[in-house]
Amino acid sequence: MNLPNYFLADLPPEAALTPVLIRECCQTLKRNREQYLAAQSTSHLAGVLSEAAANWLNPDDPLRRLALESSPSQTGFSEPILRRGLDGFFRHFAPANLEQLIRQDLGHSQRLDQWSGGETEIEDRRSALGFGPEFLLHVTAGNLPVPALMSLTLGVLVRSAQFVKCARGGCFLPRLFAHSIYQVDPKLASCLEIAEWEGGRRTDLDEVLFEEADCVTATGRDSTLESIRSRLPRRTRFLGYGQKVSFGFIAKEALTRFHLQKLATGAAEDVTAWDQMGCLSPHLFYVEDGAAISALQFAEHLAEELARRETVEPRRPLEADQAAFIQIRRDFYEIRAADGDQTQIWSSPDSTAWTVVYEADPLFQISSLNRFIHVKATAGLDEALHHAESVRGRVSTVGLAASGPRIRDLARQLARWGAARICPIGQMQNPPLTWRHDGRPALGDLVRWVDWERD
Amino acid sequence: VADNQPAAFGQNKTAMNENLTLEQYAQDLGDAIRRESMGLRTEAVPSQNSRRESETGLPDPEFNELALCLFQLQLEANAAYAKFCRKRGGRLPEHWTEIPAVPALAFKEWDLTAIPPEERIAVFHSSGTTSHRPSRHYHHAASLALYEASLLPWFERHLEEAFTKPNLLFLTPPRDRAPHSSLVYMFDAIRRRSEMGPGRFLGEADPLTGEWRLDSSAVVEALEEATRLNQPVALLGTAFNLVHLLDGMAGQDKVLFLPAGSRVMETGGYKGRSRFMPKDELHKLVTERLGIPSGRIVCEYGMSELSSQAYDQAIGLGRGTQSAPARVFHFPPWARARLVAPGTNREVGEGETGLIRIYDLANAWSALAVQTEDLGIRRGAGFEWLGRAARAEPRGCSLQAAGGFLP
Repeated sequence: MNLPNYFLADLPPEAALTPVLIRECCQTLKRNREQYLAAQSTSHLAGVLSEAAANWLNPDDPLRRLALESSPSQTGFSEPILRRGLDGFFRHFAPANLEQLIRQDLGHSQRLDQWSGGETEIEDRRSALGFGPEFLLHVTAGNLPVPALMSLTLGVLVRSAQFVKCARGGCFLPRLFAHSIYQVDPKLASCLEIAEWEGGRRTDLDEVLFEEADCVTATGRDSTLESIRSRLPRRTRFLGYGQKVSFGFIAKEALTRFHLQKLATGAAEDVTAWDQMGCLSPHLFYVEDGAAISALQFAEHLAEELARRETVEPRRPLEADQAAFIQIRRDFYEIRAADGDQTQIWSSPDSTAWTVVYEADPLFQISSLNRFIHVKATAGLDEALHHAESVRGRVSTVGLAASGPRIRDLARQLARWGAARICPIGQMQNPPLTWRHDGRPALGDLVRWVDWERD
Repeated sequence: VADNQPAAFGQNKTAMNENLTLEQYAQDLGDAIRRESMGLRTEAVPSQNSRRESETGLPDPEFNELALCLFQLQLEANAAYAKFCRKRGGRLPEHWTEIPAVPALAFKEWDLTAIPPEERIAVFHSSGTTSHRPSRHYHHAASLALYEASLLPWFERHLEEAFTKPNLLFLTPPRDRAPHSSLVYMFDAIRRRSEMGPGRFLGEADPLTGEWRLDSSAVVEALEEATRLNQPVALLGTAFNLVHLLDGMAGQDKVLFLPAGSRVMETGGYKGRSRFMPKDELHKLVTERLGIPSGRIVCEYGMSELSSQAYDQAIGLGRGTQSAPARVFHFPPWARARLVAPGTNREVGEGETGLIRIYDLANAWSALAVQTEDLGIRRGAGFEWLGRAARAEPRGCSLQAAGGFLP
């Protein structure tokens, strides 16, 4: 399937991008927005997005098929991994869900359409209208495709002209997503632009975008975000989503013989989703002492589950340096394991496909990712959090398995400690649309408010 | 990982080896190397072009026999290595390529040695990682004798040249100031035993931190003196020693043209002690500031965990000054490098990238098979060195473990 040239990312790689071209492109996007997108209703936009998403879920859709067929070469992920990731993402796109997101973040589903207000506002004879940025720039990281698709979706809902600047090798799926919007509403797609260049290599192009945008979102390494922020004009709003880690906690009452398989399956689901490359992917699972099943046994089950997954959802092939990194860390734990029963390691034979390391020591351990997971025994959540102090403030998601009255207490303790999201194990890489990204309302943060107080 | 057949190792000593001890093995190997009967004489002159295994000086059956014999001795005498092999499980190796390679970092965790504590007279540490336990390679008199027997001929093969006797200028501290550096020990052995000219150590070590320093103006003085006398020099040091020297020279705005016959031996390693400079750039600067062409800059690859070294070329041979080909390292005939695909025991194909694994027959009292953390590209029986694998930098929003994050 050959895609028509609608976006900069459709141009052949040799096509030279220039600052003049980018400037013209920004102005066209703004003009198109003014003439079309700014006047569209929320229900129309939600309809376009959910229709595009429905196409993505249709096994015969040509764009979906193209994405899946070219996944290993274009995204690096094996086809089953991309399929699971995309299905999990687009499944949330029902119009009702999109409206619910607006209601949650903005207080009323018509906030972006007309003067409206919640109960207290109406009592006070107040109402408000929200506006998205005129020109929204997204600078996206290359590790996984979903955040860029989510950013585009939010930008459509707030009626912004949008430019997605992808990391090198990262434009494939954003580009296909933009084409899928084009198929449903070409005029809407004319307010979107997708392009790709290596970060830091084309500061001349960056400068143009930074001048034109009134709001910039960026995902990636903290150093990248800092560099972008420092180069933006003061008036430009900046929403940066930096480096995060996630982990799981399994309380003793949840780890019964009956639940063991379900938990191991869920944990494996979290580890294999996007090959563990996202910031919602777990680096380790804490297992509380005193359960019917020990942390060691859980680790062993998780290893079995990862071995099984590898046969149906293989991990992507790695560059030699990444694979070598896994091997070196395996060597380290193998040496530890030779010294006694405080450390144990299970790993895929004859490949680096998956690795499980059990340690009795509860100190938080950052993983080398690519399906390398730590399992640690702990006396309880207090102790686990004490040993996770090194990542405090940088934790996105905690997968929590607990039950009864205790789950509420554990969740509160995690929240106070600083976790931004708590969810069941097995759902870590599958947040709903209404997810508050790193603890912030992602849609709400895009909106500029106008309040109207009447006599 | 499974602990399958712990009994497989350490049994069935072959008749040939019946009464052999590590001492006898080391003695025999050292004698053979000194007699040049370890394939040195038949060793093809190294050039920039890769060689095939069959061209190296020691036929595979002979290397194999020695390696298996040494492995057997090490299993009996080196408890830590034996523990590692038992844990790894599997069959007793029938070919040297099946000998379990102990990760270099095991030298940090364990006393990986067959030398009893009371006999240890030297220990070599890996450099750089000051905050962690350093790796420890223990030596006694016999092991140091073998180390010297191993290091000298291969050094001479690459750095010596008929008719010129350069003064040896070592950019590291002397042995008494850096007693735990295997590199400095090697330089000292070269100073004592090489037939090249007299040698001097020009570096210093901070008495408190042990950090190496170089007074570049003193080095420049020595180099200027040599230039005046038209006395060729051999400058030997680590990459960071050279960076210090070149930075110092740039600061003084010095450019020298060292006498004909001069040469540089540079060994990898920055270890955070100076700014990092890509090799090509470093060599270009050596040429610009010291007048030594790339064909007379020899790179060495060595580790404190080993007893043999690899070199990338012999001076004056091969490399032109234009568009130098990749530098390919070769060990002496009594050591071999395999480039292994991570996660497997498979050697990568020609031109492919793998982890460098070294089988060193001169590592008698520690472990003959060492898995390094370095990546290289396989070039014939040699390798092109790429650097430490732990440098791999992730992209995106998830924190990923980087080098040095291990507990």
